[in-house]
Amino acid sequence: MTARSFSIPRTAVVAITALVIFMPLGLIFWQSFLNAPFFNPAHRFSLAAYAFIFEDADFWSAFANSIVIAAGMVLIALPLGAALAFLLTRTDLPAQRTIEVLVLIPVFVSPMVLAFGYVVAMGPVGFYSLWAKDLVGDVPWNVYSLASIAVIAGLTHVPHVYLYSSAALKSLGSDVEEAARVVGANPLQVALNVSLPMTMPALFYAAVLVFFLGFELFGLPLVLGDPEGHLVLSTYLYKLTNKLGTPSYHLMAAVAVCIVAVTFPLVLLQRWLLKSAGKYVSVKGKATRQKLLPLGAWKWVALAIVALWLIFTIVVPISGIALRAFVEQWGEGIKLADVVTLDNFRGVFDQSDQVRAIINTLLIGTIGGGLAVACYTAIGLAGHRQQGGVAKILDYIVLIPRAIPGLLAGLAFLWIFLFVPGVKELRNSIFSVWLAYTVVWLAYGMRLISGALLQIGPELEESARTAGASSARVLKDVTVPLIRFGLLASWLLVFMIFEREYSTGVYLLGQGTEVIGSMLVSLWGAGAIDQVAALSLINIALVAVGLAVALRFGVRLHE
Amino acid sequence: MNKPANKLVVEGLHLKYGDNSILKGVSLTLNPGEVVALLGASGSGKTTLLRAVAGLEQPSEGRIAIGEAVLYDAAAGVDLPVEKRNLGLVFQSYALWPHRTVFENVAYGLRLRATSGDDIERRVNDALSNLGLGALAKRLPHQLSGGQQQRVAIARALVYNPPVVLMDEPLSNLDAKLREEARAWLRELIVRLHISALVVTHDQTEAMAMSDRILLLNFGKIEQQGTPEEMYDRPQTQFTAEFMGSNNQLPGKVAQVVDGRAMLEGDGWRLWGVARGELKTGDAATGVIRLERTRIAQGAGENRVRTELITDMFLGDRRENLFKLGALRLRCYGEASADGACWLELPRDDLWIFPQVSGA
Repeated sequence: MTARSFSIPRTAVVAITALVIFMPLGLIFWQSFLNAPFFNPAHRFSLAAYAFIFEDADFWSAFANSIVIAAGMVLIALPLGAALAFLLTRTDLPAQRTIEVLVLIPVFVSPMVLAFGYVVAMGPVGFYSLWAKDLVGDVPWNVYSLASIAVIAGLTHVPHVYLYSSAALKSLGSDVEEAARVVGANPLQVALNVSLPMTMPALFYAAVLVFFLGFELFGLPLVLGDPEGHLVLSTYLYKLTNKLGTPSYHLMAAVAVCIVAVTFPLVLLQRWLLKSAGKYVSVKGKATRQKLLPLGAWKWVALAIVALWLIFTIVVPISGIALRAFVEQWGEGIKLADVVTLDNFRGVFDQSDQVRAIINTLLIGTIGGGLAVACYTAIGLAGHRQQGGVAKILDYIVLIPRAIPGLLAGLAFLWIFLFVPGVKELRNSIFSVWLAYTVVWLAYGMRLISGALLQIGPELEESARTAGASSARVLKDVTVPLIRFGLLASWLLVFMIFEREYSTGVYLLGQGTEVIGSMLVSLWGAGAIDQVAALSLINIALVAVGLAVALRFGVRLHE
Repeated sequence: MNKPANKLVVEGLHLKYGDNSILKGVSLTLNPGEVVALLGASGSGKTTLLRAVAGLEQPSEGRIAIGEAVLYDAAAGVDLPVEKRNLGLVFQSYALWPHRTVFENVAYGLRLRATSGDDIERRVNDALSNLGLGALAKRLPHQLSGGQQQRVAIARALVYNPPVVLMDEPLSNLDAKLREEARAWLRELIVRLHISALVVTHDQTEAMAMSDRILLLNFGKIEQQGTPEEMYDRPQTQFTAEFMGSNNQLPGKVAQVVDGRAMLEGDGWRLWGVARGELKTGDAATGVIRLERTRIAQGAGENRVRTELITDMFLGDRRENLFKLGALRLRCYGEASADGACWLELPRDDLWIFPQVSGA
C-alpha cells in the first residue's frame, strides 16, 4: 500500500500540477533578466531591470514601508490574537460562541472591500469622521497615514493569530496546567509559565504568517496609501506601468522576483515551524473537562475590549459601505435623508461589464470552486499513501504558489495567455481567471484536502486491498466516499475564498474576464465610488451567503 | 516528614456533572504515613474523588480537611483554590512540562514558594537522587523513558513536602513488565520516606500490593473499605468479592439456612457455603469462590461436584483448567486427569453465598 507505484493518471496529475506552477513562475524569472519584454524580438539577457529598480528611491521606500507595515501588524495582531484565544478557550468570557463566529468574518471579507469601507467610514469625509467632527469639532484620526494602515492591517489580521493560538491552546493537555496549579501556581502564573511557553511555537508560526501576509498586502495599501502616496512593494509593482508610460514587463518581473525572494523563505520557515509546533502537543493527558478560569468583574472589561475590536474591524467598515451604497453622495453638511437612493445599484446593473462581473464571480465561486476542489482532490489522491519521489515532489511544489502574491500570479498568467500558442484563445474567457485562482489558492486547498484525507484510518483502505481491490479501486470505493463531506466543506470554503479574491484578477481583467474583485480595483482607480460601494455590498452579501451555509451545516471555517 | 495532625478527612462528599451524580456522599480518612488505595472500575468516581481533593473538581456538598486546615466546606462556603491546598499530585500522564528540564520541573514548586536558590538546588538534588534520577537533571522530559518520567513526576510532587501525595493511576502508563517492578519500588519509597498517599487504581493487585487500606468505590459510593486482607478474605458484598480476585460463580437457589450457613442448590448439584447477607429458603442466590480455593478432588465427597474437563491452559507457574457443570463453567488450578470426568471440591468455609441483588 505504501510502496511506490507509478501509474499514468498519477504521473499526469503531477506533470500538470508542475506545469501550471512552474510555467508562470519561470516566465517571471526569465523575464526579470531581460532588458525588454520577452515578446519583443530585440530582447536580450541583461541585469538592467534590477539595476533600474535598485536605483529607484521609490522602490526602497516601498520596500521599507512593506517591512514597517508587516512588522507593525505582527506587533498589533500577535498580542491581541493570543489574548483573544486565551479568553475564548480558558476563561468564562460571556457570549463565547457568538464571538468565535464573528472573529472569523475579517478573514472572509475582501481586503479591498474592507479598505474601501474604512475610507467611506473613517476617511476625511467619512460617516464616522463627520459624526466625530460634530461631537469634538475635529476628525481625531487620519486613516491615510502609514501608521493607520499598519493599525488597520494589524487589527484585521488578529483572527489569523487567534486561529493558530486557540488551536494550540485547545490541543494543550489540561494536565500540564493542572500540574502547575497543584504545585502552587496561581492562574496567572500558569498562563505565563506553562501555557504561554508551550504555545510559543504556534505563536511564532502565527507571527511569521502575519508578517508574510503583511508583506504581500495589496488592497489596503492601494486604497489607503494612495492619498498620501505611501507605496508598498505590491502597489509599487502595480504603479510601475503608469510610471513609465509603457508596459515595462521586465521591471515588473524584477520587482516580482524581489517579492518572491522574501516570501519564499518565509513560506519554508512556516512549514518548518508548523512541523516543530507539534512538538509539545504529542505529550497528551487524559481528556478531562477543563475548568474555566472565572474572570469575575473583569469579564465585562474583557468583553468590552473584544466588542470594541469587533466594532472597529467589522461594524465600522461594513456599515460604512452599506450606508455609502444607498446614498448619492456624502460630505459635510449633507443630510442622510436627502440623499438616500437606489441609483448606485441601478448604475451597476446598467453596465454590462459589471453585470458580467457579478455573474462571473458567482460562476467562479460555485462551478469554478467545485472544479478547483476536484483538481485539489486529484493532486491529494496522487500523493495519498505514497512514499518517496512523487509524494515528496508534490509536497513541495504545492507550497510554491503560496509564496507568489495573487497580483504576481495574475501577471504571469496574463503573459501566458497572451503569448503561449494554443491557450491564447482562452485569454478572453473566465477560464484564465479560474486557472490563476486555482493555482494561487493551491496550497490552501491542499491543506483542506489533506486534512480530510488524514481522517481516514489506513486500515480502512488496507482491508479493501486485502479483499482484492486495486489501488485505483480503493480510491474510488473507499477513500473518496469517506472524504465526501470533507470535500463538500472544502467546496464551500473555496467558494468564499474565490468570492473574496481580488488581486489575482487585476491583470487578467478584460472583456469577458470581469470579476467583482478586479472590477473594484479598476473602478476605484477610475474614482467610481458609487459603483464601488454597490459592488462591495454585493460582494459582502455573496460571502455572507457562503458563511451562513457554512454555519448552518457546522463546517469548520479553518483548517 | 508528616506532623501527626496532618490527617486527611473527607466527609460526605457529593459531586455532580449537570444532572449526573458522580460522587454520592463519600467519606474517608487518611492517617499520616498511611497509604490508601481508591479502587474501582472506570466510571466509579475514583479519579473524580482524587481530583476533588486536589481542588480540580467542584463538589456540591461535603467537607475536605487536612489537620486544622479546611480545604473545602460546602456548609461554611470554604473552597481553597488548587494552588493554596499545598498537595502533591502525580498525574496518570505524568504531565511533565515539556519545555522545562527535569531539574526545572521539580524546582518549580519550590520557586513558587519563594525558596532561596541554594535551598532549591539542594532540595531538588536530594529529591532526584532519592528517586535515582541524579544524572538526569539537565535532560528534557522527552529524552526520558516512561519509567524515568514517572519518577520525575513523583519527585515533583514530593519536593515541597506536601502533607498528602495524591497519585492518579501512577503505574498505568508503564508496560506490564515494568509495572511490577515499579510497584515494589514505589511501595518501598512510600515506606522509606514515610509518605501519606492516596492512590487511585483500577487494578486490585496493585491496590493490595501498595496500600495499607483499600476503599472500593462503586458508582460514587464506597462499597467496602478495609485492609487488603479484609477486602480479599472477608468481602461483605458480591461486588467486593468479585472485584477483588478471580472467582467461580454459581447461581442457584437457597435450599436450607442453618446458623449462618446456607445450602445452595442448582441443576444437579448442592453445596454448603457461608451465608453473606440475608438469606431465606427459596431465595435466588449466587455462590462465589476464589479460583485458588477450588480444588481437584479424587472421587465423590462433601461439597464436591462432578464435572467434565473441557480444556486446560498452561500459565507458566501453574495450569488453569476449565470444567463444565451443566451450563456452568468452573475454573481451577492444578493438574486434572485427562480422561474427562473430574470431581471438584468447593470447601464449605471458602464458598460465600450472596443474596441476589435486586435488579442486578
